[in-house]
Amino acid sequence: MWRYRAFKAVQSLVERLPHPWAYALAVIAARFAWWFSPLARPRLEYNLKTACPELEGDPAALRRLSWLNFRNHAKAYADLMMLPSTAVETMRPRLKVQGWEYLEEARARGKGVLVVSCHMGSYEVCAAIWSATLAPVSFFAEELEPRELFEWYRDTRARLGISVLTLDHGGIRRVLQALRDQEMVITAIDRDIAGTGHMMPFFGKPAPIPLGPAAMALRLGTPLFPVCVYRLPDDSYMAEGSPLVYATSTGNARADQIRATEECLRHIEGFIQRHPEQWHVPHRIWEGSP
Amino acid sequence: MRVGLVSPYDFASPGGVNDHVRHLARQLRNLGHETRIFAPSSRSDIDFDTAHFYRIGTPIAIPANESVARITLSFHLANRVAAIIEEEAFDVLHFHEPLMPALPMTMLKMSTTANVGTFHAFARSNVGYYYGRPLLQPYLAHLHSAIAVSEPARAFVNRYFPGYQMRVIPNGIDLDVYKPGVPPIRHLRDEKINILFVGRLEKRKGLGDLLRAYRFIQTRVPHTRLIIVGDGPLRGTIESYIARHRLPNVIMAGYVPDSVKPRYFGSADIFCAPATGAESFGIVLLEALASGLPVVATEVPGYMSVLESGRDSITVQPRNWRELGASLVILARDADLRMRMGNYAHEKAQRYSWESVTADILHIYREALDAFAYKTLEVTNVHNAV
Repeated sequence: MWRYRAFKAVQSLVERLPHPWAYALAVIAARFAWWFSPLARPRLEYNLKTACPELEGDPAALRRLSWLNFRNHAKAYADLMMLPSTAVETMRPRLKVQGWEYLEEARARGKGVLVVSCHMGSYEVCAAIWSATLAPVSFFAEELEPRELFEWYRDTRARLGISVLTLDHGGIRRVLQALRDQEMVITAIDRDIAGTGHMMPFFGKPAPIPLGPAAMALRLGTPLFPVCVYRLPDDSYMAEGSPLVYATSTGNARADQIRATEECLRHIEGFIQRHPEQWHVPHRIWEGSP
Repeated sequence: MRVGLVSPYDFASPGGVNDHVRHLARQLRNLGHETRIFAPSSRSDIDFDTAHFYRIGTPIAIPANESVARITLSFHLANRVAAIIEEEAFDVLHFHEPLMPALPMTMLKMSTTANVGTFHAFARSNVGYYYGRPLLQPYLAHLHSAIAVSEPARAFVNRYFPGYQMRVIPNGIDLDVYKPGVPPIRHLRDEKINILFVGRLEKRKGLGDLLRAYRFIQTRVPHTRLIIVGDGPLRGTIESYIARHRLPNVIMAGYVPDSVKPRYFGSADIFCAPATGAESFGIVLLEALASGLPVVATEVPGYMSVLESGRDSITVQPRNWRELGASLVILARDADLRMRMGNYAHEKAQRYSWESVTADILHIYREALDAFAYKTLEVTNVHNAV
């Protein structure tokens, strides 16, 4: 409960601040977290070294990258905290898009769109704009602890028309229904939250990766659309999409799911290698991580 | 026809009058008429086709009718307004709340064309109308035709200006946006019965009664959820009430963009409008009816001009949270009744389509043009005789 209360206190302050002040506060908080976090920074640096092997022999570059990562992560939190008081109309000019044609192509098929992404940038902003202008959007995501904090996340996103569906049976049923109704479902595949992932190479090292999105795509014929959202130097955002991945059936469902997931993962790896300073995963992904 | 629509209220803030103006402008344009909107705005980047929008003045917040009116009081705008009116050469100028300072009154005085006024407001009393009658009467004389959005709105104006002729043309509803089957907010569509409130969080909307009623409901039908859409000065008080009484399953959604609002109606099972008085019409009721929702509402004149108790709604005395709670329990327990009322509500909402409302308003425009032509002819004849 105290964690939620602390979050709410900070959030109430941040949402009342002008954008530059909120970001300034976020950068100060990031500095403290970067100095004093016992696990987050070592884990993040391990992940960054795995994603960008050239950092292995360059500790200064690694330190700079992990600091930038903390800084961008804190700014993404500031964006989230400002969301309850932000109008979609004011967000819209702050989003640029690359690869729009793939989204059009996916929507034209009339089977919904499964956006596969990674924990990068302020994807809430992108989802809110798409939800207000294109089609209803659902997040397929883990249930956070504590419960009050999760409910705050859910209600804040719902205000912008984003449904939050959890990784359980009820959630999966609703995701399938949303896709049947030609909506967009966004999920991240760079972390295995539920602990049911399939081991496959991720940056060349075996890591558990969820097959759920590919399984749903295979079942419904929905295209998988790899997307990442990252922050630009002027604090606007870029949503970058890659060519669609189609999960086609060859009779062996498991093999088909693995093939489609691996294909998505190659796009995700490309995103992360191009913008490692924005890949916010200070968590354990590979064996051997701190 | 070239039509200028004038609103006194901040175009950047949500509100019934401005929604009316936006929809009417779009509908008129779809029918091939030229439209321009005049209104103050607190933001320059408002969400509307700005090519057809003249931003006149910066609004300030003024307490009025148990709410806050955001209007401009800049009388020095007269020169700019006069220049625009001359340049645009309107056939009709349509004033919403024509007796509201300063924009509509200033423009009404300057207008050299057919003028139509629409009265939206309803209140128990109006000090401005009461004391300002001698000043306001000449402004009314400038109108060639007048509309009231409901019987209560007409009665309200007639209380201060007896015998003044107005036609009742209700607010419209966009039936392509508000309809059953709109994709819901999916995590709200579970086994719970969702009771929806939409409105500004201020005293006159009666949310306090709804919260008391919700406490009562929870002891009888625990699988209910209360969704509160809207923001306002009472937000803090409401949040602390919910926390103090540990009310379960209450969602404070806050201000929801227009593009998302229909999805909240699509996620609800019952719509509740517990206002305590000064409601002229209640566009949210139309939104609920068009979305196929049964309504529980208070018997305030504005709401009763839209609702048919027993067919599309259950109505209760204002400020009576016990009756409100009991009615919500009845509906929450009876899925058949909800469906029957919802079906009738949706069917009834078709009468309020913007197409039909705009056709009625165009008829008034033609009447105003005739009245204007007649008056001009009269003046010319007198002039020639002299």
